Amino acid sequence: MSIKVLVVEDDREIRGLLRTALAAEGFEVLTAVSVSEATALLEHDPPDLVVLDLGLPDGDGAQLVRAVRSKSAMPIIVASARHQEAEKISLLDEGADDYLAKPFGVSELLARIRVALRHRGTTLQPATTRYERGDLLIDVDAYRVERAGRPLHLTPTEFKLAARLVRAGGRVVTHRQLLADVWGAEHVLDTHYLRLYMGQLRAKLEAVPSEPRHLLTETGVGYRLIVD
Amino acid sequence: MKSWGEADRSWPGRAALVGVALLAAATAACAVLDGAISLMSQAMIYLLAVVAASYLLPRLAAVGSAIGAVAALNFFFVPPRYTLAVEHREHLIALAAMLAVALLVSYLSAALKRESAAARESESRAGQLRTLAIELAAAGSEDEAVDIGRRALLQRFAGPVLLVTSIDGAISSGVDAGEDVMRALRCCIDEAALLGPGTGRWPGLDAWYVPLGTRDRVVGAARIEPALASDTIGREHAQAVAALVAQGVWRLRLLEASLAARAEVERQHVQATFLASVSHDLRTPLAAIVAAASSLEAQRTRLGDEEQGRMLAGIVAEARYLTAVTENTLQLVRLSAGGGALRTEWQSIEEIVGSVVGRLRSRPSGGRIRARLGRALPLVRGDATLLAQLAANLVDNALKYSDGAVGLTVGHCGGRLLLSVKDRGPGLAPGDESRVFEPFYRGRDVSDARGAGLGLALCRAIAAAHGGSLVVSRRVRGGCRFTLALPVVEQPAVEVAA
Repeated sequence: MSIKVLVVEDDREIRGLLRTALAAEGFEVLTAVSVSEATALLEHDPPDLVVLDLGLPDGDGAQLVRAVRSKSAMPIIVASARHQEAEKISLLDEGADDYLAKPFGVSELLARIRVALRHRGTTLQPATTRYERGDLLIDVDAYRVERAGRPLHLTPTEFKLAARLVRAGGRVVTHRQLLADVWGAEHVLDTHYLRLYMGQLRAKLEAVPSEPRHLLTETGVGYRLIVD
Repeated sequence: MKSWGEADRSWPGRAALVGVALLAAATAACAVLDGAISLMSQAMIYLLAVVAASYLLPRLAAVGSAIGAVAALNFFFVPPRYTLAVEHREHLIALAAMLAVALLVSYLSAALKRESAAARESESRAGQLRTLAIELAAAGSEDEAVDIGRRALLQRFAGPVLLVTSIDGAISSGVDAGEDVMRALRCCIDEAALLGPGTGRWPGLDAWYVPLGTRDRVVGAARIEPALASDTIGREHAQAVAALVAQGVWRLRLLEASLAARAEVERQHVQATFLASVSHDLRTPLAAIVAAASSLEAQRTRLGDEEQGRMLAGIVAEARYLTAVTENTLQLVRLSAGGGALRTEWQSIEEIVGSVVGRLRSRPSGGRIRARLGRALPLVRGDATLLAQLAANLVDNALKYSDGAVGLTVGHCGGRLLLSVKDRGPGLAPGDESRVFEPFYRGRDVSDARGAGLGLALCRAIAAAHGGSLVVSRRVRGGCRFTLALPVVEQPAVEVAA
């Protein structure tokens, strides 16, 4: 059975293009033009993944995200234009899995869908605890980090930070989520903690810290580990 | 200023004392000279005392002195002495004439005194109004004008004095005068009418309410205490002051309106230039996209794979360019609309540069970027998205106008964080160092390249919004260098847990 993707998008042209592009990749595509239509579809014909456009005519994407999250771990990818930055971040904090900045290319969308499905696919997979790409290895269970075969020493906080990103499996983790999970809820506004510890982490994990190849900064949103 | 009447009221016994003293002096003089001079001359000495009393004392005391003088002359010097009886008919006539003269003199000098006092007061009021008019002409704001008016009223009235130019403004600025006062002020403004004692309207009020201005344009109202129904002159003065203040406020409002109108014309002019330039920047890539897409639509079967690929790549590149122009335009508009959208947090410049370079590397020209960052760079306060856009615009610009390497360096020097982007392109014409930052300005030799117009203007706006600066300089062996300087503030504290 093919994987079912629900595209919630009010612009007819983009909806049509996404349908064609996703169908060409072998997905079964459902479309909805509004939050209410999407809610009805989710009820009767639940998909495996949702691509949610922000700024729908009948309002609030956050409501949809909360409704989905209350029932399932179905991946949600938010597509947003630049002026919807704040809304996008709040949806990610609410539990959306990832985002795409408009305008996006089809290849970017497919890459995000692949990451989302790998992490929470149609079958229940164990949480990701291992990151291996290029010369970098992070094994959360074994508490081991290696670069080019040589073990690296991370402080406990650095390790917690790295582990949180590894568990996200290539999806973006917002500043707020990282701060809450690593330092605790009372530190969710202390973004300077992130700047400092991410800098230390890059210095240890990256060959050229100013041009990271693993630890990607999503400007204004958060961080992610690049997966192939 | 206080009038004569008020000074006398302040000590009522003084007038009687002065009157008695004058009569005593006249009696003493007459007694000393008694026998040496005639009764007629003694009468003249008393008359002198009456004239002096009329000049120095209020009306009632002066009349009392006149009667006292006649009585004293009669008692002490007219035979039979030490009685009030009169022996000769001649003396009786003389005393009656003297009384008439004394009363007439006291009446005339009282009238003279009143008139000269009125003249003095009206001169002083005219002087006050003149000063007020001059001060109001120099007032720079409505608040200042109101303050000048309040001080002018307090020169004449003991107060308290309240002056408002709008009821809502008065309430919002914390004037708490009670509901009744506010209602009276509102009525005074709405009806453009003088209210209070002696005005025939709302005589029961304990203050005067004077509208600022006449029926067509009342700009506010004044509440004045003390308000006596009989103080007609005071009321007139208050109205004159109110008229001058109204004129001053009206002048300031007209001035403000004309300045606003001029600013609006200016703004519309800038907007028109802006729109013309943006639509130029948008039209060119759109033309390229339409040409390529329509060619693919109509001629697909006749085009080779390679040509089709080139056209498709062109469409994607032009569309990306359109996105960048749109983003720059929107950000510039947002920043120039007041900068309220700035989300400042602690930012790592290494991180921002890293993400920008990472993005630009994926382009064909991205291999020419040579980034070099100093170690242990401080954090800066800023909006990450805007700073990233600034860095991307600078690097993008350098890649577009040069073929060689583009250097990107970040360092920390003298309390500032410095980010420089260098190229070996054609450089700047002399005099272009500041003009490149004007919206839509393009260097002379680069008319075929496009889109620099807005990017640099936005870069400078972003730098300014962060309290920093962005300058460009020509390099000795060709090319140019853009340098962004951001202030480094005290670094945030981090709890050292681990």
